[in-house]
Amino acid sequence: MDEIGKDGALSTISQLGERASRAVRLLLALALALCVAAPQLLAPAHAFAAPADDAPKSAVDESTNLGVSEFERLQIGSSKTYEGKDYGYAFPLGKEKGESVTALVTPDCVLVYVAPEVASRAGFDPKDQSHTAALEAMMEQLDAGISRGGKTLDSLELPYVYVDQKECVRGDFTYRFAQEIEPDYFYVTCVAKGDQENKAAARFCDLFTLKTAAETEVVGEKTWFEKVCDFLDPEHLDYRPLWVSLKTAGVAMIFIFSLGLIAAWRSMHVKSRWKSILDSIFTIPMVLPPTVCGFLLLLLFGQSTAVGRWLIDHGIELVFSWPAAVIAAVVVGFPLMYRTALGAFEALDANMLDAARTLGWSETRIFVRLMMPNAWPSIAAGTVLAFARAMGEFGATLFVAGNYAGVTQTMPLAIFYSWMGGSTDVAIFWVIVVIFISFLVILFINLYSAHVQNYRRSPAQGKSMRKNKNLPPKDADGGNGEGAAGFSSPEGETDGEGSRA
Amino acid sequence: MKKSRAIVAGIATFALVGALGMFGCSGGSNNGGSAAPKADAIELQIFAANSLEKALPEVQALYTKAHPEVTFSDTQFKASGDLVTELKGGATADLLITASGATMDDAEAAKAVDTATRTDMFTNELVVVQSIGAKVQATKLEDLKKIDGKIAVGEPSVVPAGKYANQALASVGLYSNPEGVDGKYDESIAKKIVEADKVGTACQYVASGDCAVGFVYTSDLYRYEGVDVAFTTPSDSHKPIKYPGAVCTTTKNADTAADFMNFCLTDADAQKVWATYGFEMAAK
Repeated sequence: MDEIGKDGALSTISQLGERASRAVRLLLALALALCVAAPQLLAPAHAFAAPADDAPKSAVDESTNLGVSEFERLQIGSSKTYEGKDYGYAFPLGKEKGESVTALVTPDCVLVYVAPEVASRAGFDPKDQSHTAALEAMMEQLDAGISRGGKTLDSLELPYVYVDQKECVRGDFTYRFAQEIEPDYFYVTCVAKGDQENKAAARFCDLFTLKTAAETEVVGEKTWFEKVCDFLDPEHLDYRPLWVSLKTAGVAMIFIFSLGLIAAWRSMHVKSRWKSILDSIFTIPMVLPPTVCGFLLLLLFGQSTAVGRWLIDHGIELVFSWPAAVIAAVVVGFPLMYRTALGAFEALDANMLDAARTLGWSETRIFVRLMMPNAWPSIAAGTVLAFARAMGEFGATLFVAGNYAGVTQTMPLAIFYSWMGGSTDVAIFWVIVVIFISFLVILFINLYSAHVQNYRRSPAQGKSMRKNKNLPPKDADGGNGEGAAGFSSPEGETDGEGSRA
Repeated sequence: MKKSRAIVAGIATFALVGALGMFGCSGGSNNGGSAAPKADAIELQIFAANSLEKALPEVQALYTKAHPEVTFSDTQFKASGDLVTELKGGATADLLITASGATMDDAEAAKAVDTATRTDMFTNELVVVQSIGAKVQATKLEDLKKIDGKIAVGEPSVVPAGKYANQALASVGLYSNPEGVDGKYDESIAKKIVEADKVGTACQYVASGDCAVGFVYTSDLYRYEGVDVAFTTPSDSHKPIKYPGAVCTTTKNADTAADFMNFCLTDADAQKVWATYGFEMAAK
């Protein structure tokens, strides 16, 4: 090779390396951007709407100096009897809520009960238009935040009626406010006249504390960052699926790795006709739907078959337990390990193995000293792929291990069940985690195989360098031919090559 | 030679450690993987109708606050029919709460629950929901005939809400069997029906916009964001919706389970949780 050509090739390689690292950085940035943007782009509009639990529960009106706090909504009442006495249809306000203002939605109006002492303390005058308008605006705003999909106060368009007496009769219904039925527990009760149902008297009930604006502590809308922190708080978000996934896939990998390698190694020595049958059996979990694997495992270990009952009688009770999740992961991950290892072993030079045999090496020694090191890059890639597959297992796991939070609930199960349970945000969180882990896995394989290729290329270069070292100094380059420094840099190497040419 | 043997031995040890670790862990995993419990600690396993998924954990937390020695393992919220099938299949639980009398009858017949402890706990209403903001023009059951889009209904053999929905549809001649199961949908809606494995799934289908309308309970509205009531089905169009609870026969904590059931029904704070999530207490 002429000097310029070699030089050009090497500089291209070093440029490629630089480009590759730039590409990796770019990819990482893209992945991060995707993680941030995906929820916004993919999420259904309501998924990240403030959940009812986070909705503001307080508000103030500066002009009238009124403040509303501890806003709650009772969606439905119940018939209430206590110590033999029938109280009718009741809304439980809760402990020490005797002074709460209640807004009860009746068929023809919203009945707002403000106890006279509460009104005077807060400076609220129900006859003052500006006061009632301000209170209604605050009630409608807060009610809409926590309505949880029910009809909101403002959508009903009912007139507001203010009462300050504990008992109020409207049409066929008698309403009683701030009833202390159990000691310290307060209720709003409704009783109907005649044969009408008590339940017809009211639809839902809001309750809150009314004070002056100065006394009301307004908990403002949380910032985006606070919301994310709250969401990631271990008190709210269950991180166990990640741990269960890693634990399951980790333990499964121990089995997959050893079984896969041994199966690949041993099946190389099997006669060809049997080999294809054996090979099919080892590979079939890869092509079968995971539900089939899961179902077969359930039959094998479950109550419904003789084998399963025999196993259970002998203390091997696996169904719906964590070991079942590991077994499911092993079954689906094994073929990936087995196939990559077998492919790599078969690609090895048969003459090399025979040569080792002529030297009297045992098969075990050939496997450990010759086959493993030579096939290692493929085995490593197979291991990582099998790990990813084991961690992503869904169908078979659900079948034999079920969905028990903290025990068998892996990330894929958590995604499915949190979406089904209405927690779209949690599902999206786990989707991002899974994408991120998968991305790392593939990146690792790519970087590792690139590393191995470099490693394979370098011994040849190393040899040529060593040759250079033995050349007379006059032929070596003057500038940085001294010491090992020149060999580590491409320039030095190029010069060396050039001088040899 | 020695080295190669050592490596094979290494792999074998690796596998052995893995196996030991796996079965070592499995002992704890059956009771929710909790750390060694105190001698008098009790962990209740509850099987509850899917619709209770958000409200029941809050009541459980109240109970644990009042009785610190009692905790709850991962409560299973599935379709009532599935829960009974699991109990019949040998699953163990302390308390069963289903969403229909029929599923509880089934559990009683299989001797999975103690008949003496059976109590009606809650009532609910069957509503037709639509996605928030959707322009669905349905105000009564008959309107479903001309609706544009899919109708989510629970699988009637296991999901009580689906059975109630089919009873309601049968009341206007859109389903062939007035019992709500083993019938056929009227041709006008047969192709629009999407069956869901539990009532929550039906609600989620509507919330995500995959179905135009769905039959769910009033209480489901308050646990799924993004759905709105189209109309409430007439209460005489289906059997009364009751949630019976009963202590399971496989329990080792029958007294605690019965006490928790009583707590759900009588505790004032628990009542407020039920009211917040739209469950009405069953009249005694």
